[in-house]
Amino acid sequence: MAEMHNPMEQFEIKRLLDFKIGSLDASFTNSATWMVIAVILATTVFVYGMRQRALVPGKLQSVAELGYEFIAGMVRDNVGDEGKKYFPFILSLFIFILFCNILGLVPYSYTVTSQIVVTFAMAAVVFIGVTIIGVVRHGWHFLSFFAPKGVPLWLLFILVPIEVFSYLIRPVSLSVRLFANMLAGHTMLKVFGGFVVAMGLLGGWAPLAFIVALTGLELLIAFLQAYVFAILTCLYLNDAIHLSH
Amino acid sequence: MRKAVNSAFFVGLAMLGATGPAAAVGMPQLDIHTFAPQLVWLTIAFLVLYFVMSRLAVPAISDTLARRQAKIQGDLDAAEKANEETRALVAAYEKRLADAREEARRMTREQGEADGAAATARFNELHDRLAKQIGEAEKRIARQRDDVMAGLEHMASDIGRDVYAKLAGQPADQGALAGKISAAVRGGSR
Repeated sequence: MAEMHNPMEQFEIKRLLDFKIGSLDASFTNSATWMVIAVILATTVFVYGMRQRALVPGKLQSVAELGYEFIAGMVRDNVGDEGKKYFPFILSLFIFILFCNILGLVPYSYTVTSQIVVTFAMAAVVFIGVTIIGVVRHGWHFLSFFAPKGVPLWLLFILVPIEVFSYLIRPVSLSVRLFANMLAGHTMLKVFGGFVVAMGLLGGWAPLAFIVALTGLELLIAFLQAYVFAILTCLYLNDAIHLSH
Repeated sequence: MRKAVNSAFFVGLAMLGATGPAAAVGMPQLDIHTFAPQLVWLTIAFLVLYFVMSRLAVPAISDTLARRQAKIQGDLDAAEKANEETRALVAAYEKRLADAREEARRMTREQGEADGAAATARFNELHDRLAKQIGEAEKRIARQRDDVMAGLEHMASDIGRDVYAKLAGQPADQGALAGKISAAVRGGSR
């Protein structure tokens, strides 16, 4: 199987245009290409699709409204009215992840969200932003979030470190969940794709059928992980705003 | 539990990256040199998307949804109003129908009463006329009877005079005979 590609090769970052901002490497890569494509597609759906602002929506406008109402409902149900301010951010986050995930399934494309640095950056922004919101709204009282009410004092010595740890681990779990799902799915597709080639015309049909089924599953996961990322952001935001457990 | 698994996975990934010095052998995701360009372009792409969403898409969609909601509510209100108007019209129509029916009944009753009164009046008039005619007829009968009686008296006095003359052979005293005959006739007629 010498001709079989390394299944990790698909995740390599390739510099297409080298350039630097000062000492910062800002080269335009294959990853950046698909980020830009995702943004252009999202803009097409949400701006070009909404250009008529029709009372009876067309196809593209229906898609835009569906996405809007999906996330608006999520923010309303999980955060409440205070969440309205952060709705454009959560919508952008959901749409960006969703488009990157789905575009990653296009053959020869690049899956932006299969890079831990990308998912971790987004999770870190969410984590830091949510923490700042919590501190600004509640001041020192925000620390009571780590001390559940109605717990004996001696238990707090155990509980508070656990709560703090589980709070600090949030950006890690949030980013790794998305990253690992994308990584595992695409690796599996690549491995079975290699089997199709290796087993040839006679035996390749079975892994090919598996790839077809797996692609369907990956489409579901692409949506599901964007949804999970958005709803967890909502829940963290709700925690920071309402200090609820 | 899931968090623990995830963090273990993360640590495992880090070790995997550490064991492979060449990024292509291990995981390309852990090649630190690729982080800066990815983060730069992630920032640019996400900021552009956030700007597009918050400035263009969200206002456009919320405006459209609000206008649609207003339109639907307006249409519902208009339909409700039209419905009420129709109900009012039906009620007015039914009231007019009931009034007309009542009016018709009243007119029929009054006409009936008027007809009754006219009939009574005609009956009374007829009754009076008949009574008058009966009265006249009776008078006429009485007069005729008197005439007949007078004729009878005259005839009786003639016959009496003739009979007296035949029997007595002499003419009767006219005055006495006439009085007696007259009394006899009148008494006999009673």
